[in-house]
Amino acid sequence: MPTEINHVVYFQQSPEQVWEYITNSELIELWLMKNTMKPVLGYQFQFKMRPLPELKMDGIVYCTIMELEPFKKLTYSWKCGPGDGKLTLDSMVYWTLEPSDKGTALHLRHTGFNETEHLTLFGLMDKGWLQNMQKIVEFIKTPAHGATNA
Amino acid sequence: MAQQMLDVFQVIADPSRRQMLLLLSENSLSINSLAGHFDMSRPAVSKHIKVLEHAGFISIADIGRERHCTLQRQGFDAIQEWLSFFDKFWISKLKNLENLLNQKTKN
Repeated sequence: MPTEINHVVYFQQSPEQVWEYITNSELIELWLMKNTMKPVLGYQFQFKMRPLPELKMDGIVYCTIMELEPFKKLTYSWKCGPGDGKLTLDSMVYWTLEPSDKGTALHLRHTGFNETEHLTLFGLMDKGWLQNMQKIVEFIKTPAHGATNA
Repeated sequence: MAQQMLDVFQVIADPSRRQMLLLLSENSLSINSLAGHFDMSRPAVSKHIKVLEHAGFISIADIGRERHCTLQRQGFDAIQEWLSFFDKFWISKLKNLENLLNQKTKN
């Protein structure tokens, strides 16, 4: 099962020109969504989309700029949820720009859909907890008369 | 009482429910034997089981006079739904960007 999204798009424009379209708020709105983006490391911003009741999503994406390397690399967190400050998807978006002979290759990687990552968050895979639980389960499974002097 | 809709995180946040899922990850169990693992009333156990069932983590089948709980993948698959949604989302948005920049080249 795939656990991340990967897409590459090629443009005739230079990386400097394409960079504008992924960092300038007004230009982003033209193709992506309304947003409050500013290309500043650590800056917190939002995207606004239509609510998605089927995914229990209120339509706001909460982002923080994690990496910023002008014309080369842009990374932001991508979190959303049903509202009331609850965030059920905690993911990351990575943009990479590479100059090519014809212009620019723009690579998008969106990660954080890994089931085990979420199970870790759930605490189901918490090792200490799991081991303790297994001990309890073993103990309960063992017949009373066989539980000692093993 | 109206069944409150909980998201997967809320469902899993409860230690008793996590414990139930862990027990069920080893074996299908009847509600009675599941209840035997917990120091709580039978109605309280039933309530947790209902929450797990609603969220798609378990299914309940009647076998003879007993009600049996089995672990289901669906609850875990909610994460996968985000992926398939955003995959389509990005394809369509990147298409917008391509059109936008191609148009700019022509002008």
